Amino acid sequence: MSDAVQHCVVLEARGVSKRYDSTLALDRVDFQVRAGAVNVLIGENGAGKSTLMRLLAGVELPNTGDIWMSGRRLDMRSPRDAAAAGIAIVHQELAVMDNLDIAENIFAGRELVRSSALVDRRAEESRGAAALLALGKPIPMRTLAGTLSLGNRQVIEIARALAGNARVLILDEPTSALSATEATALFHVIASLKARGVGIVYISHRLNELLLLGDYFTVLRDGRVVGDGTRDNVDRTWIVERMSGRRIDANQTRAANTSSGNEIPLLEVRGANVKTESVSGSDDLNLAVRKGEIVGIYGLLGAGRTEFLEGLAGARREMPGEVRVDGARIALHSVSDALKAGIALVPEDRQRDGLVPDLSIRENISLASLSGFSRAGFVRRRDESARVHELAEQLHIAARDLELPVTSLSGGNQQKALLARCLMRDPKILLLDEPTRGVDVGAKAEIYRVLRSLAASGLAILFTTSEIEEAQLLADRILVMTQGAFTAEFSAANATDEVLFAAASPRTTVESAA
Amino acid sequence: MNDTRSISASTLLLLLKLRAVLVLVALIIVFALLSPSFLTANNLSILAKHVSITAILAVGMTFVILSGGIDLSVGSIAGLAGMVAGGMLTVGIHGHLSGAFVSICAALAVSLLVGVLNGLLVTQFGVAPFIATLGTLYIARGAALLLSQGRTFPDLAGTPEGGSTGFTALGQSFFLHVPLPVWLMLVITAATVLIAARTPFGRHVYAIGGNERAARLAGIRIDRVKVWTYCFSAVCAGLVGLIIASQLESAHPATGESFELNAIAAVVLGGTSLMGGRGSVGGSLIGACVIGVLADGLVMVGVSEFWQMVIKGVVIVLAVTVDQFQARIQSRLTAAPLSRGDTPRVLA
Repeated sequence: MSDAVQHCVVLEARGVSKRYDSTLALDRVDFQVRAGAVNVLIGENGAGKSTLMRLLAGVELPNTGDIWMSGRRLDMRSPRDAAAAGIAIVHQELAVMDNLDIAENIFAGRELVRSSALVDRRAEESRGAAALLALGKPIPMRTLAGTLSLGNRQVIEIARALAGNARVLILDEPTSALSATEATALFHVIASLKARGVGIVYISHRLNELLLLGDYFTVLRDGRVVGDGTRDNVDRTWIVERMSGRRIDANQTRAANTSSGNEIPLLEVRGANVKTESVSGSDDLNLAVRKGEIVGIYGLLGAGRTEFLEGLAGARREMPGEVRVDGARIALHSVSDALKAGIALVPEDRQRDGLVPDLSIRENISLASLSGFSRAGFVRRRDESARVHELAEQLHIAARDLELPVTSLSGGNQQKALLARCLMRDPKILLLDEPTRGVDVGAKAEIYRVLRSLAASGLAILFTTSEIEEAQLLADRILVMTQGAFTAEFSAANATDEVLFAAASPRTTVESAA
Repeated sequence: MNDTRSISASTLLLLLKLRAVLVLVALIIVFALLSPSFLTANNLSILAKHVSITAILAVGMTFVILSGGIDLSVGSIAGLAGMVAGGMLTVGIHGHLSGAFVSICAALAVSLLVGVLNGLLVTQFGVAPFIATLGTLYIARGAALLLSQGRTFPDLAGTPEGGSTGFTALGQSFFLHVPLPVWLMLVITAATVLIAARTPFGRHVYAIGGNERAARLAGIRIDRVKVWTYCFSAVCAGLVGLIIASQLESAHPATGESFELNAIAAVVLGGTSLMGGRGSVGGSLIGACVIGVLADGLVMVGVSEFWQMVIKGVVIVLAVTVDQFQARIQSRLTAAPLSRGDTPRVLA
């Protein structure tokens, strides 16, 4: 590991805060990036990591606080400014243009030019080739980016960042889609970048990786820095404790679900798979959820959890395998098939898959149930409003007026509105994909409470999460999903942080790297 | 201070929302002052007939645009519908002439067919609405020309002995001193307003335009809704073609050329976003009025045809610019009440 050399700070955020509508995503955060070192940023989803990165990369401006680079205050108004200052970011979703070749990708947006008009292909190819060679990936420059593996695309992005003479390189979950060998190759690249004095910001959920690579550690929780340390005084427990915190009251621990094991499960899945182009995995996913039970699927990003729930919700056109509700086999070709069978999904990405921003809160909530309120083809507004109000009250949706646009709600209340949309269909089985993503602490506890009371009233609840604490707090039973397969099952009582983490890590990554 | 700012902002927002009405009133006042014959009953009646053409097209297309699509084929469908009716009334099928009612129904059925084609191309074959309806624009126009080899079907008034009279009533008759096309416009608009505001279908259209993925996950049958929007647009377009043929007592295959542009302009002037999800049917009616008043008024005032085009273009561009402005103010207003605290703090 790194010796006790004091690396100098190259980039620094001083007291930055960022607010989105009603949520405070970052609260007076200090964060230092040291040159020639791997600066690890850790936190659960919604802790504020990506917001901080957006500020450092010039995508957004902080509400308060400044960003300093080598003792100079930066006034960044766009990603272009950040790039000019020497800050480059490689996003989790790679921004490689498949239709262009490697040289074109590396120099996209800052093409080398000769005779002040024409692209200097030769210079681009030689400089690009040199860059890739330095990264240990001598791929021919004329290769189309679309034909490259994910790992190599990532290298292209890194090369692009370095071609702009980046002094700070931000890597957001760089290994989430990589195979073990590709990840190892990436670690070598990182080591060589360190040696060249580049300050690396490394974001990942994979503890093993962080402990292997990291020199400096910063933990974010709910928009605040809750831990700062160097490799010498950081270990697994230190990270897990600070990441999750013990912030939820003891009285919220769940009453054990006592229903007996021999009744017919409300939801039963046999022989399913979640295979897509990017996810491999098992062909034989089996799962059963009883009436009144809350089952959590814990796993890292890209494990296939979302695909599994979307399949059950009829959103993947065809659910491979066999699905039974109350013992009866159902066909799942469309979302309305699922809704008719009593399965409703609260999707993971509220903005993209859930909310209709132009519609009011009321209209968003009743969206899936309009025909139920209709007589002779017209929506009966009074019935609709009454039912919407009833649910809003039951779920404690904090809105001044249900006729306001749904975007006026805070994240937690938006989530409750989507939950209300599902409940309005009187489902038997409720699926929730990351039920508290982007939701603040108070609303989290509230959502847990609501879900527990729904389960108590007889619903079967199946949710996914990438937060250990959420799995432990909410689920009666936890399944771990790794790379498209269920790899472990725990009762709530046995699911400690350690065993869950261990079960969820694609272990090959670190073993082969070590 | 925050309060006064948000009050003036909400007044501004209201004015912006009513901008089409304000523009309409302003235009009427200006033209009335410039031309004494503008506000005469006779001229208003002519004006209303012109407006009804654009309005029926625009109102019909509003659902398509609200759901995030576009329908470029309406002008051609109008032309085709007129030719179908004209052909059946004057030439007939195998020499057998049809009556007015049958001809009208047949013309509307053909229009509906084009609408179904539009809808299927967009939903089942994944063709972008702009391209799909651009294709049917040419197909329908070509079909209209083929029906008569490019000639006009004249004398649609028909003869009593042929049993083919009555077609002219559609475009020329009055009810309570108001031309029938104007009544049709009002009835269609009223029905469409009701559908938009009060039926599941209307709500689904807005939801699809606002967030198609979310609409799909809410169990809405997106394909079905979209096909219906194109059908509705096409039938309205067919009706317009029939009205024009009835008014002229002849069907010309070039009828309705570039009408789609007027219709789209009217919808946009009425405040409907071309991205879908936001707008209103009533707005499209007002937008059609603005376009109609502008066109007729400029003629009466004696502005040259070339300047008329420039002015129409300026008005459309201005309307869309203001639309962007309104969206920005609106989002600021809805965010404001919840972020009033001066010190940052986490709101539960």
